[in-house]
Amino acid sequence: MKQLVLGALIATGAVVHAQLPVPALYDEWRRITLDGVVTRVEWANPRAYVFVDVREASGVVNWAVEIGNPLDLEQRGWSPTTVRTGDSVSVEAVPARDSAKRALVSTFWTTRPRARVFSGNATAKAAPTVAGAAPRWPDGQVRLGPPAGRKGYWGVSSLTAMIENGSKASLRADGLLTNLSDADRVAPFQPWAKAVYLHRQRTLLKDDPAARCLPTGGPRQFHTPNGFQFVEQRDLGRILVLFGGGNRNWRIIYTDGRPLGQAAEAVPSYYGSSVGRWDKDTLVVQSVGYNERFWMTAGGLPHTEALRLEERFSRPDLNTLRYEVTVDDSRTYTRPWRSAWTVRWVPDREIEEFFCEENVESTFIR
Amino acid sequence: MRTRTFVLAAVFVVLTASARTQEGHPLTGTWAGDWGAAGAPRTHITMVMEWDGKAVTGVINPGPDAISLTAVSVDWGTWTVRIEGKGITAEGRLEDIGSYHRRIAGTWNQGGARGEFTLTRE
Repeated sequence: MKQLVLGALIATGAVVHAQLPVPALYDEWRRITLDGVVTRVEWANPRAYVFVDVREASGVVNWAVEIGNPLDLEQRGWSPTTVRTGDSVSVEAVPARDSAKRALVSTFWTTRPRARVFSGNATAKAAPTVAGAAPRWPDGQVRLGPPAGRKGYWGVSSLTAMIENGSKASLRADGLLTNLSDADRVAPFQPWAKAVYLHRQRTLLKDDPAARCLPTGGPRQFHTPNGFQFVEQRDLGRILVLFGGGNRNWRIIYTDGRPLGQAAEAVPSYYGSSVGRWDKDTLVVQSVGYNERFWMTAGGLPHTEALRLEERFSRPDLNTLRYEVTVDDSRTYTRPWRSAWTVRWVPDREIEEFFCEENVESTFIR
Repeated sequence: MRTRTFVLAAVFVVLTASARTQEGHPLTGTWAGDWGAAGAPRTHITMVMEWDGKAVTGVINPGPDAISLTAVSVDWGTWTVRIEGKGITAEGRLEDIGSYHRRIAGTWNQGGARGEFTLTRE
């Protein structure tokens, strides 16, 4: 019997890319076992499925077993042909909260042939990293992208949901608070903002706009699962930030000395209007002009169009990006507050193709 | 063919609706609905509200006969909204908070008359 253990998908939040968030879809406190035959493998972003015919008292029922994001699965050694139509399988899974014949895999076994693919809490194969100093341009300025002639992008972040620096509150990777009474420790909310935040937490993030493939604006850009890349167009006075998740969106940070302008003058957008300047080895970016159509982090922190961000990007070494953001939105928070995290460099690889709604024709969308 | 066209249209409507979001202060926006006593004709209401960081301001029926809102308060524990304007008081519950088209439903008092009202965010 071969065993495929896909790790603690819920705990890592690895599949929280788009469409209804995992906590809102699946009842984490229940487990079921499905024994049956594979009828189809649907290998599409953001979530891949194996469909299994299971004989139940009422007859044969076709279950959809969510196995994770294809990019994550490929890094864990799974391919679209690892499980094939006709394979006999046994699946331990977390069932849907509703009556849908849908479940999230926790352990996946094929019963014939008896060959192990991988087991245990399998983790993605980390690309080998070589220590080194931050790369620099010929004039000595730090490069935020790959070293000259090399490939690479920014991948896993140390924080996947924002929280004020120094807070002791415990947040899960998907942004849910371990204890709702800790809400005041997440950020200095105005009363309405705390109520909205708690509502989103209590409803298990089901209304997250990112789950409907809307852009992840604000700081959330820098802790999404599929990474990002800086393209520094120094001759044009701008830096492009290319995102690997969502719909492969991009953001422009102007470094040509133009003024930031006023929030009221901007047409509100998901990524706002940004200008940046270098302060020694730190890129300091000021942004205004955000719309109110997105959550600026997993977990559901609200904001208004008054939001102003100051982001500071630095690269202390080749493999580390330090990101620090000051959130200033007096209509939502009682004072400006900061959050910070680091992001790891993925060397010698390009961002993989990912489209949020690739499975738009899947069973659960059409 | 007709069925397929209908299904495609329905999917389009669903996708279009689901792509609209407003995630800031839950009262911000334009609301439309009506009020009236049971069995009596309904009176249309358009209400525009905005959060400035300290208070919700706004008007009922924008235009030459607009009525400015004098006070808007919310009990965030119960999502109860109280709205006051010249000669008008209304109290209702905010529902379906996560939706772009969230609603307020409750009791409307105007000029000595009392009725029920509903408002849906547009």
